[in-house]
Amino acid sequence: MAGTKRGSENLPCEVSPGPPIEYKDKRKDAVKKVIAAMTVGKDVSSLFTDVVNCMQTENLELKKLVYLYLINYAKSQPDLAILAVNTFVKDSQDPNPLIRALAVRTMGCIRVDKITEYLCDPLQRCLKDDDPYVRKTASICVAKLYDINAELVEDRGFLDALKDLISDNNPMVVANAVAALAEIQENSSRPIFEITSNTLTKLLTALNECTEWGQVFILDALSKYKAADAREAENIVERVTPRLQHANCAVVLSAVKMILLQMELITSTDVVRNLCKKMAPPLVTLLSAEPEIQYVALRNINLIVQRRPTILAHEIKVFFCKYNDPIYVKMEKLEIMIKLASDRNIDQVLLEFKEYATEVDVDFVRKAVRAIGRCAIKLERAAERCISVLLELIKIKVNYVVQEAIIVIKDIFRRYPNTYESIIATLCESLDTLDEPEAKASMIWIIGEYAERIDNADELLESFLESFPEEPALVQLQLLTATVKLFLKKPTEGPQQMIQVVLNNATVETDNPDLRDRAYIYWRLLSTDPEAAKDVVLAEKPVISDDSNQLDPSLLDELLANIATLASVYHKPPDAFVTRVKTAVQRPDDEEYPDGSESGYSDMPANAVDSAAAPSSSSNVPHAATRQAAPAPPAPAAPVPDLLGDLIGLDGAIVPVDQPATPSGPPLPIVLPASTGQGLQICAQLTRRDGQIFYSMLFENNSQIPLDGFMIQFNKNTLGLAAAGPLQVPQLQPGASATTLLPMVSFQNISPGPPSTLLQVAVKNNQQPVWYFNDKISLQVFFAEDGRMERADFLETWKSLPDSNEIAKDLQSVVINSVDVTVDRLAASNVFFIAKRKNMNQEVLYLSAKAPRGIPFLIELTGVVGIAGVKCAIKTRNPEMAPLFFEAMEALLK
Amino acid sequence: MISQFFVLSQRGDNIVFRDYRGEVQKGSAEIFFRKVKFWKGDEGEDAPPVFNADGVNYVHVKVAGLLFVATTRVNVSPSLVLELLQRIARVIKDYLGVLNEDSLRKNFVLVYELLDEVIDFGYPQTTSTEVLKSYIFNEPIEVEAARLPPLGPAAMFMQGTKRMPGTAVTKSVVANEPGGRKREEIFVDIIEKISVTFSSSGYILTSEIDGTIQMKSYLTGNPEIRLALNEDLIIGRNGSSVYDYRNSAGAGAVILDDCNFHESVHLDNFDLDRTLMLVPTDGEFSVMNYRMTQEFKPPFRVNALIEEAGSLKAEVILKIRADFAPSITANTISVHMPLPKYTTRVSFEFEPGAIVGGSETYSAGKAHIFTGVTCQYHERSWTCEHDLHNSNVQCFKASGKVLANSKEIQDIQSIPSTNAKGSLSGIQMASQNTYDSKPM
Repeated sequence: MAGTKRGSENLPCEVSPGPPIEYKDKRKDAVKKVIAAMTVGKDVSSLFTDVVNCMQTENLELKKLVYLYLINYAKSQPDLAILAVNTFVKDSQDPNPLIRALAVRTMGCIRVDKITEYLCDPLQRCLKDDDPYVRKTASICVAKLYDINAELVEDRGFLDALKDLISDNNPMVVANAVAALAEIQENSSRPIFEITSNTLTKLLTALNECTEWGQVFILDALSKYKAADAREAENIVERVTPRLQHANCAVVLSAVKMILLQMELITSTDVVRNLCKKMAPPLVTLLSAEPEIQYVALRNINLIVQRRPTILAHEIKVFFCKYNDPIYVKMEKLEIMIKLASDRNIDQVLLEFKEYATEVDVDFVRKAVRAIGRCAIKLERAAERCISVLLELIKIKVNYVVQEAIIVIKDIFRRYPNTYESIIATLCESLDTLDEPEAKASMIWIIGEYAERIDNADELLESFLESFPEEPALVQLQLLTATVKLFLKKPTEGPQQMIQVVLNNATVETDNPDLRDRAYIYWRLLSTDPEAAKDVVLAEKPVISDDSNQLDPSLLDELLANIATLASVYHKPPDAFVTRVKTAVQRPDDEEYPDGSESGYSDMPANAVDSAAAPSSSSNVPHAATRQAAPAPPAPAAPVPDLLGDLIGLDGAIVPVDQPATPSGPPLPIVLPASTGQGLQICAQLTRRDGQIFYSMLFENNSQIPLDGFMIQFNKNTLGLAAAGPLQVPQLQPGASATTLLPMVSFQNISPGPPSTLLQVAVKNNQQPVWYFNDKISLQVFFAEDGRMERADFLETWKSLPDSNEIAKDLQSVVINSVDVTVDRLAASNVFFIAKRKNMNQEVLYLSAKAPRGIPFLIELTGVVGIAGVKCAIKTRNPEMAPLFFEAMEALLK
Repeated sequence: MISQFFVLSQRGDNIVFRDYRGEVQKGSAEIFFRKVKFWKGDEGEDAPPVFNADGVNYVHVKVAGLLFVATTRVNVSPSLVLELLQRIARVIKDYLGVLNEDSLRKNFVLVYELLDEVIDFGYPQTTSTEVLKSYIFNEPIEVEAARLPPLGPAAMFMQGTKRMPGTAVTKSVVANEPGGRKREEIFVDIIEKISVTFSSSGYILTSEIDGTIQMKSYLTGNPEIRLALNEDLIIGRNGSSVYDYRNSAGAGAVILDDCNFHESVHLDNFDLDRTLMLVPTDGEFSVMNYRMTQEFKPPFRVNALIEEAGSLKAEVILKIRADFAPSITANTISVHMPLPKYTTRVSFEFEPGAIVGGSETYSAGKAHIFTGVTCQYHERSWTCEHDLHNSNVQCFKASGKVLANSKEIQDIQSIPSTNAKGSLSGIQMASQNTYDSKPM
């Protein structure tokens, strides 16, 4: 009972209105029993009043139990929970800091409005408490309150109090304040927590003293800071580097993230080399931790070596698998070994791979075999050695090893055409053991591709043909193409008969549209012009490279900025998996697609078009892409709707930019409803941010198929708005959505004719037809930040313009309720207030704005406060813009 | 941040469940368990420690047969969560003495009290047993330590299980001895995991030591402790490949590739005389972790020979030779040999004269030969060359002496500082080695 005594020392002894001492232990035991029942899931809410009655005790043990109970049941008994408020408020002023903290902590966990109201005053006191334990609890409590009622936090000035705590002398308090601010910032679209160089210094100082967890909070918050120049970056890195020595892996990884981010700014190669050297040992040490942490470390290292392979170039041995590594660790190690394999270490690596290929775990073996193939594709000088290892493995005759080897050898053939065909004979020996579609398809592709060198190619193919109708689509497609190839290469009688059978099977007796379409294309080609067919089917194929599991550069950038977070483990951008509860609920129900069989395959034709030109990846990608690549006839699939060709072809500026999606404000208007877009819904609006115009877009895929390859094009319009870069939308899985900010440029392709607000947009993706929709150009996004005019300037300009340039319009529906509010609102949109005067009961406001191309607009607003209808008169050199301008004003004033 | 924390038993029973933010549905424990139990990814059947299901991220670790799980909806630092889960397990063990389903259930009130202090609104606050002591008021209910899981081979092979022998350490750090007298004790363990790969001809291909100095203190009055390491200790290799043995610096020097320290360790004198100063906090913690790939003499040599004896049979001859000073003995050695899944029968015998009887004492300087681990198979698809990938020899020693198998632990001494109130009554050293041998 030592603890209890300590806790109650400071308490005035006689305040307790509780029961006599002998009952106390009984009470405690009773409440313990209630809690026990609660934790196993029994509903004990009926005892609410009785339990709450025990709350007024100086026994901390009992108090904590009651609080635990309250947190669980207050929500279901909000009216009774009020009973507890008095005690809470009293406890928050208790002389014992533990009780003060406990009261605030618990109140924050009770999400009942009436209790929240009473929380503010105690919280305010506790944020300024003398005891650091209370302050640190209170700072987290602000985050709790923000989650319940954000407005309250802002109104009561808790944010400022929290910011003050960053300068607190206790590092624990600082860390919690940082954590709370970071969370609030994440859920708010307004800038709340911005790290200045001043806070940076404070936080870096606190970093050395706080707990390991606090260090992670601070490092993560600081990773959002952009250093001004290389020198500052070097300074930051210098302060953070000692964290690499920490025993806590989370601290190490967060420090690595910080250093990697700042390294981008550091120009001195010496410093960068030095940093790389410093980071290697701690990263390797992470692999001595528990397997779970190893996994996280490996996923992160995978990203790091893609950007900075030198860091771990000499450490490949630490990634060799131990026999007792869990499978998820082994798989990741393998992946990194492939990435680090080089001409220097390939012999060692191959020895390891060969060892793995004879392990017992089938999945691991398969991956090891593929790894050998990927090394062959990656390292030209080692290809021969890789192939000889593969051949050795094939000789073992373990079924799945052979199949896997054949799949990778096919990729090797594509990479090094006409080099290693001598091994085909060995491959053919294993022909009848193949039972997996991918392996079969690969073998058939090899036979078709090299039909002229395989004497009995027709016999080999024929053996597959018997079971044609039963084969999976993947194999059927390959059989079809291989037979056509065979026929074109050896137009003898045997193949001719075969092709009849295949074409018949593939056109008449199948319900797979891809197979059918491809068969018809071949058929027509062969019947009209066999020479053309030869050109198409036997065309030279582009050489492939090993790009499997290689991330898109922009995605890699984003992931590297998210090192040490879940995103870096999943290798997905955060917005792909972070779903707040509120948005998750809105997920639309699956819409039944009218033709199920159609949609199942619908990504294939698109791939066929693209993959003919794009290098096929070698492995680990969905079969469709790889297997389609070779035989896809590029010509017939090419026609794309003409209009799109015209639109997309206009400037052809299609290069990826990384524009991280920013938190959106109010919901965007729907421009393309899902009903029109076959399940694709687009919401969009023009916005201005930091002096630049963006097209803020939200894509929602309500269809049944993943959509990718999004592109956008704007038709000519009055202000010549066009995309400054290509549309950056990741592949959208069914049910997923993505937001993007598309940077815009103006005055690119100005349409002639009278000004119009019409903005015609075309959006296309790889799976669907081109969608066209109309949006409105709002002139206000063009108003420049530097549009403020001096009074004298204003008068002069006003006078210098002829009266014919003055245009006025009555904005009927607009009401000015308060001049100040209106002025503020207009100023936020870069319409600047110059002067005002009163004319009778009317208010007259003079404002200015700078429209596109720096043309000033002088504005006079006349209206009566509180009464609808405002007269807006403008004077400008460019009066033809007036209608657009009025529309913008009306929108702004509403 | 963390939304919920829960502990599940191996059967999926909810032992502890605490919701911190109320943003993840209540049934998450069940969803999690089903996912893990029936995991089927493209890469193996083991669920990775971090995965996402329906927008909820599940992060879990296995400790002492229990699943410690945290859920979250936001993009947190997974290593933070994993570390935290490990620490929570350690703190609970510090308090309860024993960590198992039974002790958790008996002490659920204490566990909830701990959880409230360790995590607030999903943010880890403190995981130091020392700091927690001033906020925790419940007392642990002792659980019979007799039913400890045996220190069997299975436990030893689990990575990260760096446990100490004996029953002394199953005592809670907060509970007092009967009679009110506290024992003035400190336990310092040096635990090294040695991984060595031998080629089929007996050469060492790779060797690596992962070591940790663990401390568990029961001293009162928080005396300052000094830990002196070898003075010629060098940290970090300069350039050159880690595995380049030829260039290893002057004979005798111990070179650590990398090391890190517990936050309570003061390194003021470390550069000068390699002394660590610390005031040990309550509970078990690792003072220092280190990693080295410097060439060292492995305490065992493993040699494996595989012969095909008939079409469905193979014979494995495994030679293990203890290579350390005769004054040292190794106990509880077990050999672990993975076999193909389709092995139907295994029998083994010892060469006459071999002293090994499963888990007896192993004395140095003699070669012991297991002959003929005979395996029989269903089918003949198994070939010799890829058979015995790994054999595993494990040595566990708790004799009170320092196991002199690698230099840097030779000279480690624990020096109680003068202001220590109590005396040190038992310093225990343990060394744990795991071998990994690959005939190639």
